[in-house]
Amino acid sequence: MSPLDPRLQEALDGERDPGDLPLDLRDAYTRLTVATQLLEAPPPVSVASRVMAEIRRGPPPVLNEGLARRLLHWWLGRPRAVTVRLRPVWTLALAAGLATVLLLPWSSGIPTPGVAQGIANFVGHFPGARSVEVVGSFNDWSRGVLHLNDDDGDGIWHGEAVLPAGPHEYMFVVDGERWVPDPLAGRYVDDGFGAGQQNSLLIVRPASAQP
Amino acid sequence: MVNDGAPDVEVVARILGGDGEAFGILIRRYEPGLLRFATRMLGNPDAAADAVAESLVRAYRHLAQCRDPGRLRSWLYRITGNRCRSHLARRHTNDISLSDAPPLSDGSDAWAVLERGEQVALVERALAALPAEKREAFVLKHVEGMSYEEMAQVTGARIPTLKMRVHRAREALLAALEEVVR
Repeated sequence: MSPLDPRLQEALDGERDPGDLPLDLRDAYTRLTVATQLLEAPPPVSVASRVMAEIRRGPPPVLNEGLARRLLHWWLGRPRAVTVRLRPVWTLALAAGLATVLLLPWSSGIPTPGVAQGIANFVGHFPGARSVEVVGSFNDWSRGVLHLNDDDGDGIWHGEAVLPAGPHEYMFVVDGERWVPDPLAGRYVDDGFGAGQQNSLLIVRPASAQP
Repeated sequence: MVNDGAPDVEVVARILGGDGEAFGILIRRYEPGLLRFATRMLGNPDAAADAVAESLVRAYRHLAQCRDPGRLRSWLYRITGNRCRSHLARRHTNDISLSDAPPLSDGSDAWAVLERGEQVALVERALAALPAEKREAFVLKHVEGMSYEEMAQVTGARIPTLKMRVHRAREALLAALEEVVR
């Protein structure tokens, strides 16, 4: 087997007019082109009914709304620390009262980690990003469920979520379109789709096991 | 109701919104190419049908994980290619078993006088003799008509690597075909 003439390779790559090839190369071009055309006919079979029957057995791949609502509710309702700038002395009582209210849970129904749950902390450095969210196996890779915050605009985005204890795969979605693994994850797994891309891996410890 | 000509992005949104039947549109759109690709990769129509069916079910179940529905075709080929590689790995070889490939015609026949079916058999056999990576690159480029950029999305390989595989596959195929007509 000898290397093909570069002009023939160029013609086969569509980078050169095959009409410009010398006669012997044009014959080789024609032979390969004809051979390719012979392979183009699709096999006369169909797996459509088999696939549709299989997927009808399970639920559609929609957003897990229950989990999404729980995460969103927890995220919106979790206690937050606030900084109150005290100016006139007479606002002291009002500010102290406000801080007390905000530091307390909004209601008694706020999810707290159960026996088999833990708190996951997500932190990423994305200077200039307009939005950062986390998608993963815990929310069916759905967007719009778990947003990170960068309240002080320093490019460090962070957020927390209560997740079932155990391993979870996840990615950051930056500005709604760029999927990036967490550079701080430390553990990564192949995404299973064969192109060598990796998801970040997070292992959530049960809250009961955390100090 | 989403129509058959709707863009992939629209069909995917419809499915993720709960209309699982809309997946039939994607099957009709991509099944012929995926079956052709898997058949060329595995050299066996039954194994190819299994690989494509498993890939489509897997794609449906993980559709929310498709990061760019505008490149759905690449994503489906990637899943199917991965499935084919797993299938080949289970055979403990990257090459198609010769028993799976159509028999060679009598080498004394000239290409021009061969029946079309014989020509197809010859080309399939020459393709089957290529290592899996070169076979995949050749099929994606010349049978599925993909650009090198799209091939890179499907295979995860770099474009110069893919060009080299396609070039080597062409050389091997041409050498095999010239053997026949000599």
